Amino acid sequence: MKRPAAMLEPCGSVVLDDFVADIAWSPDGARLAVAGGEGKVFLVERVSGATAQALAAHEVGEHLLGTQSVVWQPRGAAFVSSGQDGTLALRDGLDGRLLAQQRPAARGLPATAWSPDGRWLASSAGKQIFLWTPALEPAHALPPLDAAVAALGWDRAGRDLAAAVNGGMVVHRIEPPQFQMRRYPWAAPCLTASYSPNGKVLVTGTQDGSVHFWYLATGRDSQMRGYPGKVDVTVWSADSRWLATIADSQVVIWDFGGRGPEGSRPQQLAGHTDRIDCLAFQPNGNFLVSAGRDWRLSLWLPGKTPGALDAHLADSEPSALRWSPDGRFVALGERRGRLAIYELVRLS
Amino acid sequence: MAGSVAFMLMGGVPVRAVLGHALRYHGSIMRTTDRIPVTVLTGFLGSGKTTLLNRILSEQHGKRIAVIENEFGEVGVDHQLVIGAEEEIFETNNGCICCTVRGDLLRILGQLLKRRDRFDHIIVETTGMADPGPVAQTFFLDDDFKHQFTLDAIVTLVDARHMERHLDEMKEPGEQVAFADVILLNKTDLVDEATLERVERRVRAINATARVFRTRNADIPIDAVLGVGAFDLQRALAVDAAFLEPQYPFEWAGVYDLPAGRHALHTGAAAHAHHHDHDGHDHHDHDHDHHAHEHHAHGDHGHDHHGHDHGDGLGVAVLPCSGRDEAALAACIEPAVRAFAEDAVRIDCGGALQAGRALHRIDISHEGGGAVLEMPSAGTVAVFCEHAPAESGLRLAGHAPVVQRAFASHHHDEKITSIGLTDPRPVDFRKFEEWISYLLKSRGEDIFRMKGVVSLKGEDRRYVFHGVHMMFDGQIERPWPVGAERLNTLVFIGRNLDRQELEAGFHGCFA
Repeated sequence: MKRPAAMLEPCGSVVLDDFVADIAWSPDGARLAVAGGEGKVFLVERVSGATAQALAAHEVGEHLLGTQSVVWQPRGAAFVSSGQDGTLALRDGLDGRLLAQQRPAARGLPATAWSPDGRWLASSAGKQIFLWTPALEPAHALPPLDAAVAALGWDRAGRDLAAAVNGGMVVHRIEPPQFQMRRYPWAAPCLTASYSPNGKVLVTGTQDGSVHFWYLATGRDSQMRGYPGKVDVTVWSADSRWLATIADSQVVIWDFGGRGPEGSRPQQLAGHTDRIDCLAFQPNGNFLVSAGRDWRLSLWLPGKTPGALDAHLADSEPSALRWSPDGRFVALGERRGRLAIYELVRLS
Repeated sequence: MAGSVAFMLMGGVPVRAVLGHALRYHGSIMRTTDRIPVTVLTGFLGSGKTTLLNRILSEQHGKRIAVIENEFGEVGVDHQLVIGAEEEIFETNNGCICCTVRGDLLRILGQLLKRRDRFDHIIVETTGMADPGPVAQTFFLDDDFKHQFTLDAIVTLVDARHMERHLDEMKEPGEQVAFADVILLNKTDLVDEATLERVERRVRAINATARVFRTRNADIPIDAVLGVGAFDLQRALAVDAAFLEPQYPFEWAGVYDLPAGRHALHTGAAAHAHHHDHDGHDHHDHDHDHHAHEHHAHGDHGHDHHGHDHGDGLGVAVLPCSGRDEAALAACIEPAVRAFAEDAVRIDCGGALQAGRALHRIDISHEGGGAVLEMPSAGTVAVFCEHAPAESGLRLAGHAPVVQRAFASHHHDEKITSIGLTDPRPVDFRKFEEWISYLLKSRGEDIFRMKGVVSLKGEDRRYVFHGVHMMFDGQIERPWPVGAERLNTLVFIGRNLDRQELEAGFHGCFA
């Protein structure tokens, strides 16, 4: 049997007192912020010992009704959590201390995203998008849209902010004092907003089971149909070649290399036996991880091998999945509160 | 469109049928126990929704309940989760069917799943004017949520005091009733019995399958509104047997033993509030002069004055009856149907009528009015009345019926109705599938709910289905009871439904 190209090596876990709804790595990979679905916010440290690594967790705060997301400042030492109670909380990345708090909305904040340069934090509440400074001070409130925002995504330059709404994509160019808006209409409820790292393509997954994308240089759009259900995860490989999506228990990968995916058949990676919920591409490579309701964490290398390189069984249903910024580690969060770290070990 | 790639049959997932939701014919029993039940609560402002919600959230039932209320809701109980929602309707294509769902609900439901221990129940409260359709369809449409949530019931609260006016003036109240699995006729302490009877009959005429409760202050046992299992296909179709009978033009009949002579046939005050024609009448304004003006135009109050009139008045037929039991009454039904099909003989207030084959229309414009039944000799008669006594106030002075029965209500003036079909003949599944597909595609907007149990040729188990607008679900479930008649039973609740059209379509499905 051929030796796999890589595998995932477990290297520490901790059980938190909440459902792991979201995970964010610090830029140096030494700590993780964790959003608890029922409201708790945790700061987890990776502690190195003589023979193994362990995780030490501290509960540092709470959002009433539930914490929805955590996002770590790029190149920064703080992270922001957002809650169903409508609050944003900026916390120190070393000790979790509350640094600032805002409440832009009475209801939950479905999306938060730092611009890649760390200059802006974007958050959405209903039809409204807010921009904040790194200190979580109000910077600008964009004009309300005519539909609620499902997702936000920045381009790599941190200049364009895309919002997924019912009826297409709305892109704001963030160049204060100018905030020009451009629409990319598509008659479907759009659920994701993903720029390719090379800035050439904007992609969205839709409620009615398709992936729609625009070539930004020309404005030409195209669509991939045939998914068995909504497409609410779209992730790019670091080289902008592969777009990974979920189709129930399969990973479906479109090749944007060469002439693009039009007229091609996607890679359909089979291995999970139940619906996949989490998918993440390595930030600086082409390894891909997926986790699903079969409690399986799988490692893939699209374009090289059709089957999973490695797989692990979680202790309960996976709920969050993130690569460390250096692409060496994967953090898996589970429904029952377990947070586990796996190291990517290359074998060939 | 340029460059689009369609790929089908992902990992064996079936290609979607025209419905966007393939009719399933398989042997497995759907397991709903793992899914979180959701109750949709609807009803006009002032119907008592908030009262009911607060009761549910306050009581010590041990359930963990999350409430999703409209943005301006007033529910607030500390130990339970209450989330405000800003309604956002999505139109989304599911296969070839375009249907509407609540986008905000999809987001909120996704958030509610981020819990270690799931909720025992979720309640979605809709705004007063809301169409429950999109909310209900939300739970059918999203493939993921279909497996995580189960629609337990649509519960509609009705303000008994104002419902008649609401039904007359707006379309939303009728729709809310049509969608319901449970109806609470609330504020019963604020109306009299006759009004309550009338409102209930109208509600039941719209929706023949819902369970109707009379309540004050929404005081209903919690398990009557939570854990209903209305969308659980394992539960048998619960329909009032009377509803499934052929629709008769009368609602009540009673058999009387009468001596020779003249017998006063009274119609009560309740008759004044009833109406046969919605157009151009203020039915809640007891303006006797208005009615009197119309009737006087046809003649005076002479006892022997007869005129022919299809409209006003209470339809009554008095037929000779061969016995004093239910069988004798049943034998009079067909002649009564024929009588009601004839032109009516008008009986002015206080006028006389005799037993025979004629339909009489008794003037009910005067309080305490009625007619006189003349019996040339002693005998037994069956009196068939257009409306039930509780509504019409009909009574024979000094005599009680020896046997009586009610017939299904038939308010033909309702735009939304329930139509029930029954037939013992086995059905060809392929034909049934095609008919349902065609029906939902062509009439899906007008059909609010459908439910049924079908006997399939070559299958010993029942095929059970239900639907909300264009969303349809069906499956094979438990076997037919041994020795019992295999009766197809279908109920459609909707707007502008044509019984003959539905019957013809269904009859085309027989094997």
